Amino acid sequence: MEQDLKKVHPYLPTLLTDYRTGKLDRREFLRTSTLLGLSAVSAYALAGGTAEADPATGNPLDTQVAEASGGTIRISMRCPGVDNPATFSWVYDSNIVRQTCDYLTRTGVDNVTRPWLLEKWEASEDLKTWTLYLKKGIKWSNGDELVADHVVWNLKRWVDPAVGSSVLGLFKDMLLTEYETGEKDDKGNPKTATKLYADNAIEKVDDYTIRLNGKTSTLAVPENLFHYPALVLHPSENGKFGVNSIGTGAFTLTTYEIGKKAVFKRRDGYWGNPVKIDSVEFIDHGDNASAALNALASKQVHGFYEAQTTQYAALKKMKHVEIHSVSTGQTAAARMQPIHDTWKDPRIAKAMRLALDTNKLLKVAYLGLGAPGEHHHVCPVHPEYADVGFMKQDIAAAKKLLAEAGKPDGFETEIFCKSDPDWEPLCVQAMVQMWKEIGVKVKINVLPSAQYWDIWNQPVAPFAFTTWTHRPLGTMVLGLAYRSNVPWNEAHWSNKKFDELLNKAEGLLDVDKRRVVMADIEKLMLDVGPICIPLWRAFFTPMDKKVKGFKAHPTAYMFAEEWSLEA
Amino acid sequence: MGAFAARRLAALIITMMVVSMLIFAAFEWTPGQVASKMLGPFATPEQVELLTEQMGLNRPAPVRYIEWVGNVLKGDLGYSTYFKTDVNNIIWDRLGNTLLLASIAFAIIVPCSIIFGVAAGMREGSKLDRTISVLSIVTTSVPEFASGVFLATIFVIILEWLPGASTLESGGDWSIASQLVLPVAVMVLFDLGYVVRMVRAAMVDVMMKPYIRTAVLKGLGFRKVVLGHALRNAMVVSLTVILLQINYLVAGVVVVETIFAYPGFGHMILESALSKDTATVEAATLIIVLIVVITQIAGDLGYMWLNPRIRFK
Repeated sequence: MEQDLKKVHPYLPTLLTDYRTGKLDRREFLRTSTLLGLSAVSAYALAGGTAEADPATGNPLDTQVAEASGGTIRISMRCPGVDNPATFSWVYDSNIVRQTCDYLTRTGVDNVTRPWLLEKWEASEDLKTWTLYLKKGIKWSNGDELVADHVVWNLKRWVDPAVGSSVLGLFKDMLLTEYETGEKDDKGNPKTATKLYADNAIEKVDDYTIRLNGKTSTLAVPENLFHYPALVLHPSENGKFGVNSIGTGAFTLTTYEIGKKAVFKRRDGYWGNPVKIDSVEFIDHGDNASAALNALASKQVHGFYEAQTTQYAALKKMKHVEIHSVSTGQTAAARMQPIHDTWKDPRIAKAMRLALDTNKLLKVAYLGLGAPGEHHHVCPVHPEYADVGFMKQDIAAAKKLLAEAGKPDGFETEIFCKSDPDWEPLCVQAMVQMWKEIGVKVKINVLPSAQYWDIWNQPVAPFAFTTWTHRPLGTMVLGLAYRSNVPWNEAHWSNKKFDELLNKAEGLLDVDKRRVVMADIEKLMLDVGPICIPLWRAFFTPMDKKVKGFKAHPTAYMFAEEWSLEA
Repeated sequence: MGAFAARRLAALIITMMVVSMLIFAAFEWTPGQVASKMLGPFATPEQVELLTEQMGLNRPAPVRYIEWVGNVLKGDLGYSTYFKTDVNNIIWDRLGNTLLLASIAFAIIVPCSIIFGVAAGMREGSKLDRTISVLSIVTTSVPEFASGVFLATIFVIILEWLPGASTLESGGDWSIASQLVLPVAVMVLFDLGYVVRMVRAAMVDVMMKPYIRTAVLKGLGFRKVVLGHALRNAMVVSLTVILLQINYLVAGVVVVETIFAYPGFGHMILESALSKDTATVEAATLIIVLIVVITQIAGDLGYMWLNPRIRFK
């Protein structure tokens, strides 16, 4: 038995011992063992006890599936332009393409990541080399078989800086290297870009095997492959997506009208489990919260992509609707860019954190649904979360820091935020009141979402409030948002010590060891980091009770092929 | 009449030229924006520069203006960066949806406002006048976003008689016609009261004129006095007010369309303006101005028809 496990990954026997001696909880054992390439079925068998979840998806086994099949399920969701999936910067864009195209892996609602288009993966002992084995016999909707060449093409495209995909930030340290382009920017500094650090960094081994030869240890490769823009597209379409695009998924997009609707029909020849419903439609009701609510009340739609707190009371009263919810690491960060004079001194950012009472913010802005925020962007649902002590509101300490930074009387500044979802401006207002107590007067500049996404990571917005979705590991969001010079580093924060610690954490498989490094990272963020995190919100969304098989996913991802409709 | 129409037509052309210049200046003064919007937030300055060059956005503004006007005259309204298609493919469909809504509302507002306005104005201070006046003030003073939510709560959530969203999709067993009821109701409620008040004021004014007194004194029936003598004169003033409502019904229904997610012209302008979709906003603004100018000309012509004195001036 031990030998068998060792063959899959040398660390697996230790993992099993840790689990059996109680050092590791069941969920973490399942997560890490599947991460190392053990099939989910074997992992569940080793973990023992009764399985409370479907090993293939992680969905709870009590999920009922309606006997009657067929029908159309309609979901209220924005329908923006989706022609370039690799550059998606929000989840709802990917919820559209996701019905047609798949990921290589899938993280379930239980936070465990499993192979999806992949049969399995194997990691080398040092976590630098990852071998990905494709399932055989998966057919694209045009009849082609999915082969390694397709996956290699997608991987190379995601890390191509000219494409501008956020997947690049996830693989930067593992697969890429920075070089000077020879050009200079406006200030005369040499411009840098990234490229694969070696020609064989992404290697095709055979038709069904791909190897990532990384230069650093990376833990979250399977999770990274579930990052929402990492949808596997058919190379013949050159990265574009639209009506009748080729995919490996269960549905074909038959109609798409931006700002209006997306219509998907079930396709023949899908490789996965039989699909029950005939079609799924996404209907765009705009940013107005009441339109979607009324549509749900009159049964024009079966559910939402996401509900807002102002809709909660009304939703509770609808008898035909069930509210699905799940605790998550979804949040929004009030980030301060140290490249501007106001935020240059890290003591100022820390004073801003100390001024906040996050328990109160959770109640005021999110009806108490979730958990009070901790200003290091690692959330209690993350396996490597370290309890480094909760930063409580401390006005006196905040004022002292401001005085030390040469601003004893506070200062005036401006914060940018989005107008929706409504909890965001609400939360900003509450924070502004708290900052007033330390003498910092903040003017609120509320922008419509579309306009906000133009400036969210730009230097024109030195202080802004940006939503971040849930990711299964704490290291993932830190790598996307705070590592030096990655595209989504919206705070333009660069800290060598942080980068080093993060690289170290990403190379540690043992959760206990990783948690030790994480504690250092969290302390560093609390001390000199560029953000305030007001709350961790529970994700909730309504769905008609007739829709079976739906489970709220912490990332708000939707998989319509799992759903069925009761007559 | 012919010379008058020709003069108005010339005025229309001049107005449209001035407006087109203003629109162009307002939207395309900073050409970099168009290119960076198309390329998205991760575009490098080099990519923006390249696209700016490809689209010819770096050429002098007057050159681009003349080209734009030429294209518009040829019927080419440009490419929508938000809807990712030619503006022509989207704008007429949306305008059609709004015209559908507007014409139903107009068909209700015009006869109702004349009937209620005349009924109230023919006997100023009567119980009927007071009732109609109070009701009109109440409905007009409730903003559309409030009456929209109010009506939806009653008819969608409590009574379950009507669909809550008017996306013109036949989902959930609701007919397209049923989806039009609430938006039309909100528009009519908001607008009717105002027009009723205007017709009533004109009617009250006419009813005090000496020739009405003469007509009454010479023994004409009240019905004949109102219909035969007062109505036409009261309509001279009311016609302008009624025609001005077309502008509101086509261009001012952003709120109603947003509340009910109606895929109309106002909703389209809002979405494209929020995402800096220059071509769509420019084309939509031109169309709105054209509608305003045309309704004004129609108003003038109708005014002439109702009031012969103007014809001979």
